[in-house]
Amino acid sequence: MKQFAVILKIELRLFARDFFSFFFTLVFPFLMLLLFGGIYGNKPVYAGAAVGMMDVSVPAYAVMVTGVTGLMSLPLTLSGYKEKKIYKRFDATPAGKKKIISAQVLVNFIMTLIGIFILLIAGKLFYHIQIFGGFFQILVSILFSVAAMFSMGFLFTAIGRDLKSASLLCYLFYFVMLFLSGATIPDIMFPETMKKIAKFLPMTYAVDLMQGIFSGERLGAHKMEILVLGGVAVVCTLIGAVLYRRKDWA
Amino acid sequence: MLQPIIQVENLNLSYKSIRAVQDVSFSVFPGEIIAVIGSNGSGKTSTVECIEGLRKPDGGRIRVFEKDPWMQRSEIYKAMGIQLQEAEYPLKIKVGEICELFAGFYERPADWNLLLTQLGLAEKRKRPIHKLSGGEKQRLSILLSLIGRPKLLILDELTTGLDPEVRQNMWISFEKIREGGVTMLMVSHYLDEVQALADKILYLEKGRQRFFGTQQEFRVYVKESVPQEEWEEDCTLEKLYFMIAPKTTGLTMEGIL
Repeated sequence: MKQFAVILKIELRLFARDFFSFFFTLVFPFLMLLLFGGIYGNKPVYAGAAVGMMDVSVPAYAVMVTGVTGLMSLPLTLSGYKEKKIYKRFDATPAGKKKIISAQVLVNFIMTLIGIFILLIAGKLFYHIQIFGGFFQILVSILFSVAAMFSMGFLFTAIGRDLKSASLLCYLFYFVMLFLSGATIPDIMFPETMKKIAKFLPMTYAVDLMQGIFSGERLGAHKMEILVLGGVAVVCTLIGAVLYRRKDWA
Repeated sequence: MLQPIIQVENLNLSYKSIRAVQDVSFSVFPGEIIAVIGSNGSGKTSTVECIEGLRKPDGGRIRVFEKDPWMQRSEIYKAMGIQLQEAEYPLKIKVGEICELFAGFYERPADWNLLLTQLGLAEKRKRPIHKLSGGEKQRLSILLSLIGRPKLLILDELTTGLDPEVRQNMWISFEKIREGGVTMLMVSHYLDEVQALADKILYLEKGRQRFFGTQQEFRVYVKESVPQEEWEEDCTLEKLYFMIAPKTTGLTMEGIL
């Protein structure tokens, strides 16, 4: 336990020191909130609607945070450590690489929660957003989104032979999902074709789940989203684990 | 009867179709310093990495502290310090942080602040590792191998990148560490270092074990292996090695001009 606490402490420091991860997890979503909040305010999404623009945008930006940590920060750290054989150095100690990887996953999860927390506080303070969902239901929906995004990132690092190819896969999927899932631009503005494409993207289901839960719907009303996100998490983790077993860590 | 700390029997390791290590057998007893020598690609690092439990051998038997290093690696590492041939560390991590991290891996770590001072790195504590010079990185790598107060040290290229004065100091330090009861297995290309430190030599060529024994026995082995006209009495270990090592052509001006 003491061993893990030391690793966690150092990994948290390294995360904070990495401008890219720090900025895009904790600062960029907040800036997006201010930008779009400045444009639209928290006016009803359509005439007579009970929820405002920022009420639906905050949960969508929360998914953006899970995407940054799951598809950029964590996989690029994993790939970089693997490519430079840093895990091999840790494997030659009593800690081993598994503890380091576990700490890196936990650090990214903690940062995801902090990023989402900043959004919620900013949303409440600046735009008086309404959150109808309960704490437990919101936490479960965050966990499903995190599981899906992190496992996809893990799979991409297993597929990519090096940092470059893993980065390419991660960036490609992240940005495609970011713009087509409704995480940045509300999907009600999409034409039908884009809506059809969005149905194939896991992030779309994460956005739908989070927006639904934040607006007070129960988890039971989102069985499809939970099934898709859970399925993505299981399948990507399993395939990633099989591919990693074939990799030469030394 | 004294139990060996490392016991290797008929070790074999292949990388796809390349047989990197073939039938290597030797034992290391407490307090000994064993040097593994041989040309590039002779299987030195592969042999050592099997002993460290970082590679799974294809055949043979290895015991370190009477345990299987591949299966019981975490147990063995509590008493083993490792310096890898090439070691990278997380980007932006500072010298003090990597020491703190490594110290956290062990129940009774050494005083790393003292080690930093002894290795001339005290002023670099807050410096990111990627900004250290090659020699400083090497000293840090040595420090990290010592941080767990090991009973067995495995050193791959101990003094590569260090200046002559630091190398000499390092030899004196490691002689003292041995006097403290630490057993060492070292891979080295510097035969002056091997001559100064090693009790026994393991000589590998093309993955095969050519010799294992004391420096005196190595002298006899070389004498018996080379034509009489090539033999020189009272020569250094380096000269002895050159008498039997595979010859390379070397560069000629013809290829350059």
